[in-house]
Order: sequence, then structure tokens, then C-alpha cells
Amino acid sequence: MDEIENRLTKCFEMVFPALPPTAIPSSSQATVNTWDSVATITLVNVIEDEFGFELDLDLLPELDSFNRILTYIRTQVSETSL
Amino acid sequence: MKISEALKIIQGAPEEGNPFPIAVACGFTPLHLETFLCAHLQLALPGRKVTSLTGLYGDLANTIEGFAGQQIRNLVVAIEWGDLDPRLSCRASARWNQNTISDVLNSVRSALARLGKSFGLFPAGAKVVVSMPTLPLPPFFHTPSWQISEPESCLDQMVSDFRTQLLRSGLLVANPACLIEKFAPEERYSFKSDLLLGLPYSVTFSDALASVLARLLCPVSPKKGIITDLDDTLWSGLVGEVGAEGISWDVPNHSGLHGLYQSLLASLSSSGILVGVASKNDSEIVNKAFERSDILLQKEYVFPIETHWGPKSQSVSRILRAWNVGADSVIFVDDNPMELAEVAAAHPGVECVQFVQNDYPAGYAMLGRIRDLCGKQKLSSEDYIRLESIRQSASLDRTGDDSTPEQFLQQANAVVRFDNHNAAADSRALELVNKTNQFNLNGIRYTESDWSAELSRLDTQSLLVSYSDRFGLLGKIAVMMGRMDGNTFHVRVWVMSCRAFSRRIEYLCLKTCFERYRIDQIKMDFVATPKNGPFQEFLTHVLGGKPEGPTVITRERFENVCPELYHAVHDGENRAPLPAMTRA
Repeated sequence: MDEIENRLTKCFEMVFPALPPTAIPSSSQATVNTWDSVATITLVNVIEDEFGFELDLDLLPELDSFNRILTYIRTQVSETSL
Repeated sequence: MKISEALKIIQGAPEEGNPFPIAVACGFTPLHLETFLCAHLQLALPGRKVTSLTGLYGDLANTIEGFAGQQIRNLVVAIEWGDLDPRLSCRASARWNQNTISDVLNSVRSALARLGKSFGLFPAGAKVVVSMPTLPLPPFFHTPSWQISEPESCLDQMVSDFRTQLLRSGLLVANPACLIEKFAPEERYSFKSDLLLGLPYSVTFSDALASVLARLLCPVSPKKGIITDLDDTLWSGLVGEVGAEGISWDVPNHSGLHGLYQSLLASLSSSGILVGVASKNDSEIVNKAFERSDILLQKEYVFPIETHWGPKSQSVSRILRAWNVGADSVIFVDDNPMELAEVAAAHPGVECVQFVQNDYPAGYAMLGRIRDLCGKQKLSSEDYIRLESIRQSASLDRTGDDSTPEQFLQQANAVVRFDNHNAAADSRALELVNKTNQFNLNGIRYTESDWSAELSRLDTQSLLVSYSDRFGLLGKIAVMMGRMDGNTFHVRVWVMSCRAFSRRIEYLCLKTCFERYRIDQIKMDFVATPKNGPFQEFLTHVLGGKPEGPTVITRERFENVCPELYHAVHDGENRAPLPAMTRA
């Protein structure tokens, strides 16, 4: 697990405290009961606090799993670091 | 505060903590507002577990009415323009023309009337805090944005009138100036978030509004007094060097800040905040300064005035004793950082504020800070008599020197009034419970909703005690509250203002309980605190030994130790004076 994945996992732990840490990497809106649209908004804000960039709200419907969010963050972080 | 910080605070709440439930009513998605509100309340109530309920999206009035039916005791309401008429929200796709406007105004009038009725459904003990619209109106009016149109002005007027109506009904309302001053419209309103997510507030503004609403729901105790320096603080100039006519506090002399400061202190004094002086000066020249006809803080609003050349920390000590308050209840204001440091070192609890003379923004901010430290949610009749009763107590101490304590009490013509259960719902009762430290059974504090819940129990009895004697009126000075359990009165709350010490009122309270409730014993939920030494001393005398924890006083024991009591007692239930009580 690299640093970005580690930090994203901590964000998920904060928003979904009842979710076992081992289940986080494979989690999605389809598999986590408490991951609704409201939780998505909270998750987005926590990620913004953690990584220091603003997520594009238009992309929210696509950011429906840990992996997709991770991929998105990696593009944002590599862009900002260039 | 960030969202992640707020979530950490909420998740860190003690699992076994006494629940503090709140209901949040708003027409938009309450998400961030609710999160920040819970976090701020959790910080204010670290031993409790804050929980929240929200209502239906887009239906504020129904949500409030639904909460009224659920016995909600803590309600937070955030009203925005869209709640008064959907066409005033950017989320509504509405046709808009000149005919729409009059319809919108009528609709807003009806919506406010309905909201007013909804608030009226909550019982007197519920605490309701409200914020009125803070977001900009949509840009559909015929004037350019820098010119207000008549419909916009009408909307402002309706909201303002409604706000006043809420205040007169006893609700607490967020000050719009506080929020609008600090945040430009684009900082308050997130247009994209509103359209895409139904969240109109920016995250930062959600936090700011939540903080204000949390402070309305769980206010910080205001300071009880301000001790002020004189030279280059209360006035500009050194009165000892330039004389009473050489000092100034007005705009022509570039000393308007000092005049504003005097006006602020006078205003605070008239609302019950004690004002004292600690100055290194000659008392004669200081008196001359206070005799100036144009002074804005008149001498009658200040007590005591300490003028000498010794350390100011000694003045502060004497003033604290005269006021009988703790250092953490007081602000000390001085222009000199060394004096501030000296007082802070001797009295670590005192809030030291530097009077900044030549920095206008800092000076203005200082006035605002003093207001915030001393501000009270409500005023009581005791606020208007506090200073006078302290002066009377000071002259009482001097008068007592010439007579024995017994003679003194015998000749005091003391009158004590006991008001019944309902009177303890008086806001002064809760103020006493939450602000009294020294004569306090256990130091337990209550929120308004907790207090109201306790009073509404069928087995609860409570007394609110008022006192006056030939030296003056002290007002409401003690509260007892407990539960009847067969032949025992189980006292859970007992506080008495320090202004009422040395008058044997505490013995009269116990005697009244034994007589009124016809009981054989009183159980006390006593807990020793760092500050309730006077209560511990009293209980030690009554029990014949140091109390270690909850304790029982039997009627027989009490009658053996109770001293002579000379009070005339006025029973609030009977509304007739009873003969003075004396030991049989």
C-alpha cells in the first residue's frame, strides 16, 4: 500500500467507522450500506481536507468505489506535483 | 474547523456519556451544518454524547411541526429564502415576471406566519435557536445589484419583523451582522454545491454558522466583572500630570476610542456587569476626573475604585474579594503590557485584555471582544440591583463592626421569600445554578433542556429564595431542587449567591424544607469541589463532621444545631407573610 492509498484508507475509516479496515480497498457504493449520496459528500470533503485539492463535483457519480477514487486522486496529485 | 476534524470530535464522544439530543430543521441538505453543529456542541459538552435528528428535505415548516410533536427540547432552525418561497432559491426553475413578485411577497408573508405558529407549538422549557436568511436573493429584481428594489426591501422588512417577533417570544436568534460582516456573499454561498448537491453553504460558512448556533444553544458563562485601568485606558492622558481637565475621551482630541470604551463599560454596568478600577494614581485627582460633567462612565456605575501606588495585582485581589467572585470571572483591561503581565502572574484565571490606543482596527476589535466576553443571553431583575447590593454588602461589613453578629442579624429586618416549584423555571434560577461556585452542593451544571426536564418530573420540588433587609434588596439569591422520596427530601441542587452569606439563609432553607414537606430527613447529593469550601464548612457544622460525599441530615440533628433565625418569611404559595421563625 503506497502513501496515497494509505491516506485514502484513513479517510474512509473516518467516514465509515463501522467498516472493517480490510474491507476498505474493495468497498463501493454497491457493497457498503451506509455509503449513500450524503456519505459521498462527506467523503469528498474529508478527501479534500486530506489531500489539499478540490474535487470536481461533476465527477461525483463516477467516484463510487475506493479504487475509482484512488485512481482519480493519483491523477490529481501527479498533476499538482508537476 | 474542517470536516475531518469535526468527524474526529464527534467520533471521540464518550460512549457512556449522558445523551444530549438536538433536532436540526432546515429546508436544504443539513449535512455539513449538522456535522459542524454536533462537533461544536460536543466540544462545549465534553462529558455528554451529542446526537442529532434531522427532518424532511425541502419542507421546513412540516419538519418543525413534526419535531414539536416529539418532545424535542433542543431545536436548531436555519431558515433560508427558499424555505419562505421556492422561487427565492436558485434551485427552483421558476418563471419570473413582474406579477410573480407580488405573489412571492404574499407567499413569504404566509410562510412566516406558519413558521411563527410552528414555533409556538414548543413548550416553554424547550430551547429553540434560529438563524434567518444569510444567503443572497436570486438576481431577478429589476434594479442593478447596487440598488435595492422595493420588493427586496419588503422581504428584508418582513424577515426583520419576524425576527423581532421571535425574540419577543423568547427564542434566541443568530445575529445576522456577525455572519454577514465576516463573510462576503461568495464566501457564504456555494452556487455549484447548491445546484448539484442541495448544499448552499460553503464548508467554511457552515462551520461559522454552526459555531454561532452551538453558542446560542450552549452559551459560555459571561464574565461577571471588568477591572479597568484609568490613564490611557479609560481616558487619554495621565491625569496626575495634566489634571482632570487635561485628559480626554472625544473625537476632536483624537481620543474617541476612550469615549467608546467608557460608553461600553457604562452599558455593561447597567446590565449587571460589575466595573471596578485599579489605577496607580492619587485618589483625589481621580475623583476630580470622575466629577467632570462630560464623563461617560459615571462614578455611580463603578465600585470599587482602587487608587494607590502598589502593585495592581493587590487591587485586583481586593476587588475580587469585594465582589466575591473568582478570578476566572473577571476581565482586566490596561494599556500597559507590564501591568497586564503582573496581574496575570498573580491571578492566572483573570482574562487580561490590552487597551490598544493607536491601532484603530485592533481597538475596535478589542471593544467587540469585551462585548463577547460579557454578553448575556437574557437580563434579569437581579442584573439591575447587583452593583447596589454589593455596595450594601460592603457597608454591611463596616456596620457589623460595631455590633455583635447576633444583634446585627436581629436588627437587620430581613425578609425571605420562598417561591414555589414553578418559579424555579425562572431563568434566574438556572443562572444561579450555573454561575455559583462557593455555596454549591456539588458543582453540577445544567443545560436549559436538562433543567426543564428535571423540573417537569412529578416528584421534583424546588424553591427559589429571595432576600431583602434594611440595607437593601438582594433579589433572588438561592435555589434548592430535589426529589421527594417518602419521608426524605433528596436534594440534588442547592446554590446560594455569595452576596447572601452571613445571613443564616442556608439554615432557614433547611428549616423551610423540614416544615413545608413535613419530612424527617434531608438527603444531600454532596460532592466536594475545589471551590465549594463555604458549603463544606456549613455542612461540617450541621453534621458535626466533615462530609465525604452524599449525606443525610435528620430533623433532630438540624434542630439541635440550627442557630436563632430572625427572618420574616414570605411564602410564595400562600402569598402572605408568616411570623419570624425562631428555634423552639
